[in-house]
Amino acid sequence: MTDCTARIREETARLLAEGRVDLVIGFEEGSLPLRATPCFITEPGDTGRLIWNAFCSNNLARYLIRSDRKVGIVAKGCDTRAIVELIKEKQVRREDVVIIGVPCHGMVDPHEVRERFGDIRIQTVEDTGGKLVAGDGTALLSMNREDALHRSCRVCVQRNPVISDVLVGEEVEERTRDEFTDVADFASRSAGERWEYIAGEMSRCIRCNACRNACPLCYCSKCFVDETRPQWVGRGTDPSDVLSFHLMRVLHLAGRCVECGACVRACPMGVDLGTLNRRMSADVARMFGCRPGLDPGKPAPLSTFDPDDPQDFMLEP
Amino acid sequence: MRNPYAPVRMRVERNAVETEDASIRTLSLSFVERREVFAFVPGQFAELSLLGVGEAPFGIASSPADPDLLDFTISRAGQVTTELHYLEPGDTVGLRGPLGNGYPLEELHGRNVLVIGGGFGFSTLRAFTSFALHPANRGDFLDLEVVYGARNPGLLLYKDELKNWGRRDDMSLSVTVDNADQDWSGRIGTVPAAVKTLQVDPESTTALVCGPPAMIRYTLPVLAELGLRPDRIHLSLEMKMKCGIGKCGRCNIGGSYVCTDGPVFSLARLDRLPREY
Amino acid sequence: MRTIARNEIGRLLDGLLAGYAVYAPVRRKGILVFDRIRSGDEAILDYANTRTSPKHVLMPQMETLLSSCGEDPGVSEHTDCGKPAVLFGARPCDARAFLFLDKVLRDGQSRDVYYANRRDSLLVISIGCTQPRETCFCTTTGGGPLSAEGSDILLEDLGSVYLAHVASSRGAEFAAAHGLLDTCEGEPPGSGTVNGGLQPAIEPPVDLGLLKAALDRSFDDPLWLTLAEKCLGCGICSYLCPACHCFDIVDEEAAGVRVRNRVWDSCQFSCFTAQASGFNPRPTGRERYRQRIMHKFNYCIDNHGMAGCVGCGRCVSECPVNLDMRQVLAAFGGRRGGN
Ligand SMILES: Cc1cc2nc3c(=O)[nH]c(=O)nc-3n(C[C@H](O)[C@H](O)[C@H](O)COP(=O)(O)OP(=O)(O)OC[C@H]3O[C@@H](n4cnc5c(N)ncnc54)[C@H](O)[C@@H]3O)c2cc1C
Ligand code: SF4
Ligand code: SF4
Ligand code: SF4
Ligand code: FES
Repeated sequence: MTDCTARIREETARLLAEGRVDLVIGFEEGSLPLRATPCFITEPGDTGRLIWNAFCSNNLARYLIRSDRKVGIVAKGCDTRAIVELIKEKQVRREDVVIIGVPCHGMVDPHEVRERFGDIRIQTVEDTGGKLVAGDGTALLSMNREDALHRSCRVCVQRNPVISDVLVGEEVEERTRDEFTDVADFASRSAGERWEYIAGEMSRCIRCNACRNACPLCYCSKCFVDETRPQWVGRGTDPSDVLSFHLMRVLHLAGRCVECGACVRACPMGVDLGTLNRRMSADVARMFGCRPGLDPGKPAPLSTFDPDDPQDFMLEP
Repeated sequence: MRNPYAPVRMRVERNAVETEDASIRTLSLSFVERREVFAFVPGQFAELSLLGVGEAPFGIASSPADPDLLDFTISRAGQVTTELHYLEPGDTVGLRGPLGNGYPLEELHGRNVLVIGGGFGFSTLRAFTSFALHPANRGDFLDLEVVYGARNPGLLLYKDELKNWGRRDDMSLSVTVDNADQDWSGRIGTVPAAVKTLQVDPESTTALVCGPPAMIRYTLPVLAELGLRPDRIHLSLEMKMKCGIGKCGRCNIGGSYVCTDGPVFSLARLDRLPREY
Repeated sequence: MRTIARNEIGRLLDGLLAGYAVYAPVRRKGILVFDRIRSGDEAILDYANTRTSPKHVLMPQMETLLSSCGEDPGVSEHTDCGKPAVLFGARPCDARAFLFLDKVLRDGQSRDVYYANRRDSLLVISIGCTQPRETCFCTTTGGGPLSAEGSDILLEDLGSVYLAHVASSRGAEFAAAHGLLDTCEGEPPGSGTVNGGLQPAIEPPVDLGLLKAALDRSFDDPLWLTLAEKCLGCGICSYLCPACHCFDIVDEEAAGVRVRNRVWDSCQFSCFTAQASGFNPRPTGRERYRQRIMHKFNYCIDNHGMAGCVGCGRCVSECPVNLDMRQVLAAFGGRRGGN
């Protein structure tokens, strides 16, 4: 058992026993190799289910929305960024959550692991910190942990919790500054090429809404895609409807997206939502000097007005 | 092979405002091309559609005794209902149907029928009442007692007909409103309260009920007090529907589909279904 | 007994392309899906199963039912499905799902002509499984890695060769007409003539009969609340499922062209049952997830004599929160005899 797992269990048991929370949201062992799964603990006796490993990638902040209970939540850096935004947007009250913060070494993408090890039937995965060692019952194979990380984790600038009530595990060293190099190439292409790339990605979208539903900041009680009076976006897979959905969604998340990558991980079709989101985040960072979720005291750039706000995105008069 | 999604064309003969607030209108439709007899029973519904706008289910509000002119009473709720309200005589509209099971006419033969309705849910009960009052059918039923309510007098439907029914001696009618205005001289109170005052013989009476959920919720206990058995109470339900033919999968209550197994269910049957409506 | 060599498959499919629209497993941007092929060598033969199911071959995610144009009162019905089609390489679970869709869409009280026309002109050549995935549970709901139900021809994969089993009269006609395939003389798949009767074993997580009986009593079980708590209410499980058939009908108008489209829908979406009055009989994830399970493992068995699940495991492997339906079933079906 890792140190973090033991500490999470301990803190959960304490929070529940002291009656400080009604429930703790954390992770338990998944039903499949390379998976952990969200779990909801209400009894101190159940804390043994909780775990912490390289596959705790869901953003649990999503479960805080419209909750009427006092909740303890296990949160990585990106999860706390989401909580910070939810507090700012008055969706969550700070006093209603107890954050069990966990410094994060980056979460591992099961697809990357499977890609690397091909067809073997992985039964066990050990995380040595630097390496991932996968076993199929007979042989052991290893790969660099860094090479298996989710894309969002590779560019993450906030691996330590932004806010927390209890910190579990050692703080990790933050990466160097994020220059959005991952979308630099995309940004340098012509408008036509960018359009073609995005349209190509969107052509695989099946409109399952998993990206939206996994997103901690997509909490509208009625999303514009579900609106029928009048209808904004058609329900089907017509390319213009798919694009409208994704473009409107990314714009609605401008200045709010905390770059956790939950949408990308949820997508069953491997649609590259990251590029759009990161491009938008790059613009927000450049124009407003803002990285959502990093600064609890700073107002959201797009819901406040400042005479010095950049104007250059407006059309020429 | 007939395409069950293809509507037949109907011509709008009349589009009349029913309520003072104009939120409910009645469309009378005739067939543009007559293919076969449109045989239906009261309580069945049809999908009305405007291609490019949408399609929605509505109870057939007129009697099968007059199968050439179909009435639909439409409350304005959203896209389709709004466009339907704008139709003018001579316009065309699509129709698919008849759909659903309708009221259990056979079972009503030789019995007293207690009709209880509220809101636009009264539309299919109006169809039943007109049908039962038709000289060819009146003998099939014993006493016919109609209780109908609306929130206020302005929201009452079919006012001419109500006047006419009120004068007849082969049925009895109680119309009630929750809130009256100065001009109202009739009964004030809810539908369940009106039902409570009735004298019925539970052994020979069957009730047909259709209306908003709250009306149904409070009326059922009253019917139980009057001694009506659950298999002698028939409710017409509303669920969100699309296909109307048991394919699209959205109107089920447990394993029963409201569009094909309903919309009319006996209370006895509903009691065996999960409470998810 | 004749076998078909693995390397003959490309040519076989090329031969079919003249007369049929051929669907086979292909990789699209790294993701395996069933799609139309233009040449036989596009078909991928080494695969466990595709990410999306082949359901779209019979029921596209979006299809036009009706349309009209300008002032013309005529309505086009779009029921013609074009060339006859061959679905090559479906897994037995997915082929079996067609049997279920047939019951709902084609053979019910009214016939869905759009589905029926496609179905009646589709020939299904499936390939039995030698290497089930860890998420496969076809044996739970009556299928199996060599089940021929729903297929016209089942190929038994013997490594470098396939053994062809004709599974329907249409399959027999097709085999005869194309002189391609010989039958296995009535020997059932996996009967061992060639591979020693090996058939991969998949331990069912529950007994379907016990599960059904348990679900009959479980509508109000508080378990639904806890089991569905982590569900995101997305459409992945429905949209990847080969047996989910729910749809919405939506109209559109642009530039004088009016269309009525059918699009897939999911009972996991909150707007699925929301009524005009604002009332929603399934207001939260609990009711919606319960509907999903009850529909598949209870109502469908009552109405169609068959579960609305074929155990392909896509919902298990692709659920973003790893809500494993097998565990949910076990939570009910495992509690034998109790409430
Ligand atoms: C068997 C049956 C009989 C009905 N009879 C009548 C009747 O006689 N008179 C009458 O006025 N209304 C009747 N309704 C209700 C009517 O079908 C809905 O009001 C109508 O579908 C709303 O369509 P819209 O396009 O105007 O609304 P939309 O713009 O589609 O939506 C408005 C709201 O209505 C909901 N809605 C959409 N379609 C339906 C639907 N099929 N059922 C319930 N809610 C829906 C939407 O979720 C949304 O909340 C009946 C419904 C059923 C199922
Ligand atoms: S999760 Fe993927 S497939 Fe689903 S709606 Fe989002 S982009 Fe489309
Ligand atoms: S079970 Fe999983 S795939 Fe299905 S709706 Fe819930 S989160 Fe989405
Ligand atoms: S569920 Fe069964 S039939 Fe389907 S892919 Fe797995 S083993 Fe094959
Ligand atoms: S309305 Fe489609 S199944 Fe009932």
